[in-house]
Amino acid sequence: MPEFFDLRVKARSLAYLFAAGAGLGLLTLAVPHDPAIEELEVIVVVAIAAAIAVVGFAFADRLREWQLQLALAAGTLLLTFGNYYVGESTLYPLLYSWTALYAFSFFTLRVALAHVALLGVCYAALLAIQDPTSPAARWLLAVGAPLVIGLLVSRLLMRLGLEVQRTEEHQTALRQREARTRLVLDTSPDAFVTTDRDGIIVTWNRAAERMFGWSASEAIGTPMRALIIPPEFRDRTDRRHQAMIDTEGAVSTELFDAEYQRRDGSRFPGEATVAKVVVGEEVLVSGFLHDVSERRRRQEERDALLRAQAAQAEAERVTELVSGMQLLVDAALASRSLDDIVADLVARVRDVLDADAATIFLAEEDEQLRIGASSLGTPPDEVDPFPFGDGFAGRVAQRRQPLLAQSPDPADLGDPGMRALDVDSLIGVPLLADAEVTGVLVACASPPRRFTADDLSLLRLAADRVGLAISHARLYERERRIAETLQRSLLPENLPRLPGLGVAARYLPAQDDADVGGDWYDVIPIGGGSVGLVMGDIAGKGLEAASMVGRLRSALRAYALEGHDPAKVVDKLNRLVWTESERSQMATLLYVVVDPAEGVVRWVNAGHPPPLILDGDGAPRYLEGGSSVPLGVLPFPSFRERTAELAPGSTILLYTDGLVETPGAHIDDGMARLASLVRDGPEDPEALCDHIVGALVPAQGTSDDVALLGLRNVPMSDRFTVQLASAPEALSSMRSLLRRWLRHVGAGDQEIADITTACGEAATNAIEHAGPVGGRPFEVSGRLLGGEVQLAVRDFGAWRDPRDGDQGRGLSLMRALMDTVEVAPAPDGTTIWMRHQLREIGRQGGPE
Amino acid sequence: MDGLVGLEIEQRREVVIARVTGELDVAGAEGMGDRIAAAVPTSARGLVVDFTELEFIDSSGIAMLFELARKLGGRRQELRVAAPAGEPVARVLEIVEFHRAAPVFGDVESAVSDI
Repeated sequence: MPEFFDLRVKARSLAYLFAAGAGLGLLTLAVPHDPAIEELEVIVVVAIAAAIAVVGFAFADRLREWQLQLALAAGTLLLTFGNYYVGESTLYPLLYSWTALYAFSFFTLRVALAHVALLGVCYAALLAIQDPTSPAARWLLAVGAPLVIGLLVSRLLMRLGLEVQRTEEHQTALRQREARTRLVLDTSPDAFVTTDRDGIIVTWNRAAERMFGWSASEAIGTPMRALIIPPEFRDRTDRRHQAMIDTEGAVSTELFDAEYQRRDGSRFPGEATVAKVVVGEEVLVSGFLHDVSERRRRQEERDALLRAQAAQAEAERVTELVSGMQLLVDAALASRSLDDIVADLVARVRDVLDADAATIFLAEEDEQLRIGASSLGTPPDEVDPFPFGDGFAGRVAQRRQPLLAQSPDPADLGDPGMRALDVDSLIGVPLLADAEVTGVLVACASPPRRFTADDLSLLRLAADRVGLAISHARLYERERRIAETLQRSLLPENLPRLPGLGVAARYLPAQDDADVGGDWYDVIPIGGGSVGLVMGDIAGKGLEAASMVGRLRSALRAYALEGHDPAKVVDKLNRLVWTESERSQMATLLYVVVDPAEGVVRWVNAGHPPPLILDGDGAPRYLEGGSSVPLGVLPFPSFRERTAELAPGSTILLYTDGLVETPGAHIDDGMARLASLVRDGPEDPEALCDHIVGALVPAQGTSDDVALLGLRNVPMSDRFTVQLASAPEALSSMRSLLRRWLRHVGAGDQEIADITTACGEAATNAIEHAGPVGGRPFEVSGRLLGGEVQLAVRDFGAWRDPRDGDQGRGLSLMRALMDTVEVAPAPDGTTIWMRHQLREIGRQGGPE
Repeated sequence: MDGLVGLEIEQRREVVIARVTGELDVAGAEGMGDRIAAAVPTSARGLVVDFTELEFIDSSGIAMLFELARKLGGRRQELRVAAPAGEPVARVLEIVEFHRAAPVFGDVESAVSDI
């Protein structure tokens, strides 16, 4: 049997039972009764029952299940034995049934049966004491009757009890809801007012009291229109009220804007959510009234704030735009290549304008536009140049006016990349320089971004300067091209072939610098077998530096060929730089004259890093001495010439500071590194240069120009072979080589002069055979065999019979100077064999 | 002009001195004769070709010298050559028997005073 009642109800019921029992006991004493009844015992039973009842009432809220069971059991025993004493045995079944009823009603089936069984045992014992004659009938009566009656009646009672409990719960809930509603209404910040159909106030919450200044007791029963509505709005309120009342349906809700009046006469704007409520016959109108003056004030404040923020945002945007434009201009004005500038510009314009894309079209000379750069990466050559007037960009160029277009025709977009975008807004400004259109800047945006006149005017401000920058960049590009060409022409394209000498040079322009540097070098055969090596560095870059290199180079060649001493050559150059350069120009210069025949170098150093010499024994050394100020610093500096040995097999290396100077490292470290590289490097100058460049110049290039020039005094043996260009200029080189070799193999001065003259005649002959335009190189070889110099001069041209005069004289010279001369003409060339037995003792003795 | 050879012309009253320096081969000899000849005015009595600082001469230089001698002879002007004896240049002049065309002296002053 389920439990339907809460413990409190059960406790109370039981308490009533015991109270009733106690009352019955007292009644027993009051009415005439059997004298056998001990009054004292009855009073004790009554007192116990009354005590249980009192406890039951007092602690109904706190009693537990087992306590109730205990109380019921006690009550059962009390009643049973109380009855016994009273002697009214006919009441047994009735009392018995009451107990069962409670047991079954209050407890689970098992507990109830236990109670009933307890009661049955009690009755049976009593009946057996009173009348032992028919135990079976009495047992039946004692146990059966209460069971049947208890079950049936308890079911009935349960229904009744449930109904009662539900009503109670319902009412409790209703009370709670009302309390909550009141609480809600009273704590509501909004006034809650209800009126009846005549407009008389029936509800007035705390907020209404606060809002209007009237207390609930004052307000209720008063017409609302008179209390809170300003006079001029009362008619309108009446009409609204009536309309609410007349509206069909039970409930309707409306929202009103209204003005209300406080008790002190002050007014405030309000908002009312009004509902018609029909409860039975009664029609009520209730409304939440809200004071919106604070909200209005906040709204106004917020609006003002928003306006201020919008204004500030606009101001910031403009500032940003202006500074962005400054950035644009800065980017444009930096001296860089045109391609870099326009590529940078389109990206910046796109960012600054918050645009989807930006493109710069550059104007060609014949009023054509081509894509210079696109932030979308459209390659410039993807679109053929188009004339001014074509498309949006063309119109901007033609009208020379900024244009703003909304929802443009995609065909108008000069940048094909833009056609793929959802272009809604297009802005274009001409880039002007000296009233010339140098280009057009176009930016596009997709919704919701739309360009405004502000964007246009700001872009226009920047455009003029950008146009100027592009024009400058174009000039600069041109200048740079000229400078590059000039410098290339200034560096020797091919180093002269110097028999017996190995020469190699490297020039590496700075990578991250678009400018042409001022490093230069030169190799000048200056006669007598000597070679001038030049390494210079002009402070400054660009066209000016390149032209200075040009002047220095030609002047140095002229001075060197005039036969001046190195110191004199450099002195003259200093005069040139000092007087000719328009503004203070400075140049370092290292001028080295190599005399391979003598095995010496003479050098003058004007503020340049010292040359490096690697002797055959493998100990590199820098030629530190003789350094003076750079050219152009002093009008009359004293340049001193120094001399050092450059024995056969030795190498001399000239370089510019870019090779040994690296940012963050001391130049001494760079020079030490160079020295060790040279010591461990290959002998051949070409390989040595590669070795040095590979080790000292980073793969990504250098930050400064690097020039490197190496010369090796190739050691001689008792034989040599050299190929020479079939041109008169080769003769000098041949003679210097031959002199060196003859000296090496021990020829005396007279013999050297004779053999050189004879060999020169043979070589002149070979050049003659090659024809006026030159031809294949000719070959000179020589060997020393048994103290005899044997020379062969072989050409690959056509033999010509010696005419009377020059050539005949040449041949007779050869014959006069040499022991034997044989001319062996052949279809593919001629070889002249010459022999000369050495008689003199040469300076250097015999061959090594 | 090849840079290995140099030419200086000195006008000394009625004599012109042409100082040829460096090494005179086919590269330098071309046109040198004409330039020297052009430097000798018709008023001059003669020309001294100064080879004292010339280190080398070949048959082209000799040819130039013979041509010069022929030209001056046509103008009735004297030609003298100065070349120190024993030096390579003098030896070559000797071999080609240049003295048949014009006298050769060991120094410039002797040559000048001979005109």
